[in-house]
Amino acid sequence: MSLRHNLRVVRAVAAADIRLTLREPLFAIAGVVIPINFLLLFLLFAISGGQAPIAVVMDDRGPLAEQFVQAMNNSQSFIIHTASSADAEREIRAGTVVAIVTVPQDFDAALSAGTRVDIPVEVNNLNVDFTNDIRRAVPLSITSFYADAFPDQVVVHALESDAQAHDTGYIPYLAVSIVVAGLMLAALLQGSVNAARDYELGTVKELALAPVSRLAIGLGKILGAAAVTATSALLVLGVVILLIGVHPLHPLEVLGFGLLMIVAFLALGVLVGTLVRRRQQAIPLSIACVLPLFFLSGPFGPANWLGEVPGAIAAVSPLTYAIAAFQHAFHGYQTATQDLAVDTMVLAGFTLVTVTLTALVFGRRGVAR
Amino acid sequence: MTDTAIELMEVTKRFGSLTAIDSLSLRVERGEIFGLLGPNGSGKTTTINMISGLSRPTSGRVSVLGVDMLADPLSIRRSLGTVPQENALYEELTAEANLRFHAALFDVPRKGLEKRITSLLELAQLQERRKSRVSTFSGGMKRRLALVRALLHEPELLYFDEPALGVDVQSRRALWDRILELKARGTTVLITTNYLEEANVLCDRLGIIDRGRLVALDSPSNLRRSFGDTVLEMRTRPAPTEDIVRKVRALPGVVSAAASNESLKVTVEGGAAVTGKVVTAVVESTSLEEIQSREPSLDEVFLSLTGKELRE
Repeated sequence: MSLRHNLRVVRAVAAADIRLTLREPLFAIAGVVIPINFLLLFLLFAISGGQAPIAVVMDDRGPLAEQFVQAMNNSQSFIIHTASSADAEREIRAGTVVAIVTVPQDFDAALSAGTRVDIPVEVNNLNVDFTNDIRRAVPLSITSFYADAFPDQVVVHALESDAQAHDTGYIPYLAVSIVVAGLMLAALLQGSVNAARDYELGTVKELALAPVSRLAIGLGKILGAAAVTATSALLVLGVVILLIGVHPLHPLEVLGFGLLMIVAFLALGVLVGTLVRRRQQAIPLSIACVLPLFFLSGPFGPANWLGEVPGAIAAVSPLTYAIAAFQHAFHGYQTATQDLAVDTMVLAGFTLVTVTLTALVFGRRGVAR
Repeated sequence: MTDTAIELMEVTKRFGSLTAIDSLSLRVERGEIFGLLGPNGSGKTTTINMISGLSRPTSGRVSVLGVDMLADPLSIRRSLGTVPQENALYEELTAEANLRFHAALFDVPRKGLEKRITSLLELAQLQERRKSRVSTFSGGMKRRLALVRALLHEPELLYFDEPALGVDVQSRRALWDRILELKARGTTVLITTNYLEEANVLCDRLGIIDRGRLVALDSPSNLRRSFGDTVLEMRTRPAPTEDIVRKVRALPGVVSAAASNESLKVTVEGGAAVTGKVVTAVVESTSLEEIQSREPSLDEVFLSLTGKELRE
């Protein structure tokens, strides 16, 4: 069997798989749209969970009252708009704001006189997460307002020193985790659907009976699935870079870790597809296999902050190292205790294990059960 | 060049404690159409998997076109065309795309490929649908396309799994004609089938396999003859008793006799003389209302060799 024949097979297998994916809308949608959906869902979750919409009723328009509202704005916990008392009441009843903060009429005068000021806070405590945000952020805003307005009276100050060169917002951090989720899901779904399709249609026999090496067929299948996965990954990356504005500091790391992720999860997908041999089962099973692990691998914050049991699970999850590696590629910092070389070795080792395991299982189960 | 297309020598295949194939020896000559028959679970598929290299024997040797399967499976695959039961076509690709994909797998030279695809599609009466997706084809069209694909690389040995499965009478006839044409051109054809009329029409020789062992191997006509040369079906009133059956069975030349409802079915060997003795014995004991005489069918041979119980 010549090199030319091998290359012809690689090209034909890859092209056929790409064409089949594009011509089977349901599975194309599953492979490309599911990762995009995850991106949108996570972002909506981050945006809606990060800042609570509140109405501020300004019964005093004095400079101190304005300064207090500014302090609330700076806390990054609220989406603030001012409203009349009646409008604000209507809004909280309609559920469009979480709380009403009222700056009382004598706010400036009372502060100047050094007397006590009560700030009414009406909370819609339907959602304890938002309620607690309000309970934390209003006193915090008062403290920071007081420190700015009366620096001589606040004598306790926090002296912050930063471990990282720059801050990273929650959304930029989460966006990178979403890139990892997108790559993982796209590769896993492509791998599992492509493998299951060949069993379902019986075409695995056509491939197995061809006078070509399994390596050439496997390579063609990986290339075909990788091309579709890469398209999906580029879409996710495009949203992260162009819409969210998170740019990778080390693009080559993104490329390298991205390729490792694609190969590892394609192999894992092929393993799932080979075992279940049905596309309709392969899709939910693929998602069910990895999604819980993903959430335990530090997508919302460094994995070593998760606590004892989740932290122990995170320590053995390859996704922890993938997320840490991608955070480094995008933001240039190390989110975990291990360094980048360890992340790289774990990802490379995981790729080797999944590819070997898949080859072994395919070799044992093969075509004839 | 050897005259043997397929040779299995003392082949055994075990899956754990289950012996699927038990010391099977079989030889298929070049240029013949050989039918492998057997009930479900008899070992047909396992045998075919070993012949096509999808599975390795636990012991024994498989040789195809003079080449040992374990020594050079790639060269065997190059000479083997396969039409699997499930067709194994990419339904969302066109007929032509399926054929070009196969051509790449089997390294069919690009030069002349277009002409070869056209002529094979014309032969299968599919040329007008070459740009159509396979998912729009009828069962018969898919079967014909699967055959075209198997022939694209000009195999010396064609394996056709259940040619008539899921196709109408016209398509079945067309497929049989193509298979007979292949034989005329010297191609060896191995078929597996549960449709015994098909085996009767197509096959030069049949191997009947049951519980992993070869239980019969001969031409369809010889197999039928081995079961007796005449089947007598007699309707009597009153219905035949066990005494009549025993009496008939005891006659020389009677291969088998069985009663059901009001009829008696007797298979005899020895022609008119034996038939006469059977009829005499029956009319001595009961009233014979109707008698039919015919040749044994392959179905009867098959059932007598493999039993009547259902297999899954």
